[in-house]
Amino acid sequence: MSVTNSSIHTEVINTDDKLKEIVELSILFDFYGELLKEHNKQIFEDYILNDLSLSEIADQKGISRQGVYDIVKRCSKQLKEYEEKLNLIKEFNETKEKVNHIKEIAKQLIEFSSPKEEKEINQLNEIIEITNEILEEL
Amino acid sequence: MAVKIRLKRLGQKKAPFYRIIVSDSRTPRDGRFIEEIGTYDPTRDPSVFNINEEAAKKWLSNGAQPTETVGKLFKNAGITK
Repeated sequence: MSVTNSSIHTEVINTDDKLKEIVELSILFDFYGELLKEHNKQIFEDYILNDLSLSEIADQKGISRQGVYDIVKRCSKQLKEYEEKLNLIKEFNETKEKVNHIKEIAKQLIEFSSPKEEKEINQLNEIIEITNEILEEL
Repeated sequence: MAVKIRLKRLGQKKAPFYRIIVSDSRTPRDGRFIEEIGTYDPTRDPSVFNINEEAAKKWLSNGAQPTETVGKLFKNAGITK
């Protein structure tokens, strides 16, 4: 199938609540998904990450639509409780923001330093490299 | 064949990124899909939605069913009412 670039439509959108909720739950799943029971984990993954409908999952798993709904609700609640207790996402976001800040400052210092200060520039580049490593490993 | 238009979550752990894909409703789990028609990036503020409008309209007119979430994205982008 050929895709012409001219028909690509880019839109900056206001995320509505349902979509926001799905993105949030998928991040919770990234952090705490391994703590869900395997059966529930698969159902949650299908619903939140693969965008299947409740009835599609129900058909595949041979359970009722209501059953799937209950599992998704229960898992969502469980994941939110983990975050309330452990705060890993909150800490992740805070650390990311701070490290990005360090990186920005280092970049600005390079921009405003004179070419003579070669040693300082190398050190600043080293700082940027370390911040990149931290951001990747977070 | 029932055809669905859905979101598929990709991206690194902790950095969600979505593709908008067209897939057969009977084989949703194996990751195969017919065509990718767009992307959705919620990590940017505000979030960014890229869509091949022509392809989306073609699939919709051929009877492909968007999921609730994709339906919302289409509506926001003015592809459907």
